[in-house]
Amino acid sequence: MFAPLIPGAQNNIGGITGDESVFYAQTKQVNQFFRRFNAEEDVSGTRLYPGQNGYRDPKARRRYLNMIFDKDSPLVNTDQKTVFIEDVLNKKAPVFLDFHARDWYCEITTTFTWKKQTINIILYMRIEQQNGGYKWVLSNAYCDKFNSYFTHLGDTTNLKYFLHPMSHEVDFMNIHKALDDPKNIDYYLARDYVPDYLSLFVSELKEGNLKFVSVINEKFHVFQVPNWYFEISFFNRNSYNSGWLISNLVRLSPGDKKELLKHYTHSN
Amino acid sequence: MKKLVALTIFATLFGTGLLAQNQVPQVEITPERKHAIDSLALEKVRDLSKYISIIGDKTTPWSDAQRVIERACELFMDGAEIGVSSINRPDQVNNYKIREYFDRLMQLNYSKVVIDWYKIQYVSDLERQPDGTFVGVITVYQKFQGYDKEKGLVYEDTTKKDITIYVKRKETQIGGRLIGFWDVMLGDIRVKETSKK
Repeated sequence: MFAPLIPGAQNNIGGITGDESVFYAQTKQVNQFFRRFNAEEDVSGTRLYPGQNGYRDPKARRRYLNMIFDKDSPLVNTDQKTVFIEDVLNKKAPVFLDFHARDWYCEITTTFTWKKQTINIILYMRIEQQNGGYKWVLSNAYCDKFNSYFTHLGDTTNLKYFLHPMSHEVDFMNIHKALDDPKNIDYYLARDYVPDYLSLFVSELKEGNLKFVSVINEKFHVFQVPNWYFEISFFNRNSYNSGWLISNLVRLSPGDKKELLKHYTHSN
Repeated sequence: MKKLVALTIFATLFGTGLLAQNQVPQVEITPERKHAIDSLALEKVRDLSKYISIIGDKTTPWSDAQRVIERACELFMDGAEIGVSSINRPDQVNNYKIREYFDRLMQLNYSKVVIDWYKIQYVSDLERQPDGTFVGVITVYQKFQGYDKEKGLVYEDTTKKDITIYVKRKETQIGGRLIGFWDVMLGDIRVKETSKK
């Protein structure tokens, strides 16, 4: 399937001959994933612009779309993949990915030191426009350790930790019982409260409790195709099916998108 | 006349600083211009490739290697780093300052080092940052072989190098005239091992 996409030669950077076909086939950058998805480059990886022969050509798109899935992923169902590709190639309303649009997010897994332990924190990023240019911004954060602050959130079985309903009549003089017992403070929070981990992250960082160590993984969540969600991950292997590929494909039911977006952007 | 008024307004806005300080003139990069910038950026990447091969070469005298390191460092923006991960520990990324990376390359403990570059290269689109500078990434692949005097080839790997490039419109005065040009500088490089023997 990949052989027709491998050109004879590109500009020479200077070196060795050998089997480079894997590198030609590999989706080397997320930028290339977007270009291949949209058929906005030729087989040698040269950018195509509107009006040029082959730009967004449906036949080329079909070929590219078939090769940008991780073949080994248990999260990509073959039948769903076929329906997805047909949806994307819809003759009346083909769908193209847009780097500058909002409906896609990057998830990076990072390590930090926190209270002398090494911990993982997941950071969600999205593209934001500023001053005619673009930048990645933090849209949410997730950390198991922060989760432990809220283990009693929404607990309706507790009959011990609460502020009685007439507390207001005594100027909440009893509130110290809640505030002097930090380990149980989460019993006193509103049942529907959604913890803002990004605020906690910023606070811990500014207080000097969190020290950054490194980024250990990166993947992308894309919602730009109506009724679909897919994930892009990097596959570092000696195969034509390598580089940035779709590792998870989900057909969305009404309401799913809102829920997932809430998770990645912390929008309520 | 209208043109003259427009030009005067433009010049006044710039001359009196009425454009907010954080506003940058919006320069567009046409496909033709992008092509020319790509060539310039690839030329810098080729220079870097050449310098890395010379610095790594055990037959290069120390003083020559130092001179080449100086030249190589001039290709980069201040503060640029190289992040390296191995195929066995992909989650551990070691970041080095550019000069430190070259120094380590020069001091590798092999009797002979062979560094070759695959022909393939991939050039991304250029995206504008909020400060008006454009940024892109060029991907290249390198093969490294380390030899021991007695045991022969003892280490071999292939790495994918994703090289950040910064592209900025600049002006220089030549013979009293202001001439605009596009300047390309290299930035951070992410190095990932793709195979190892």
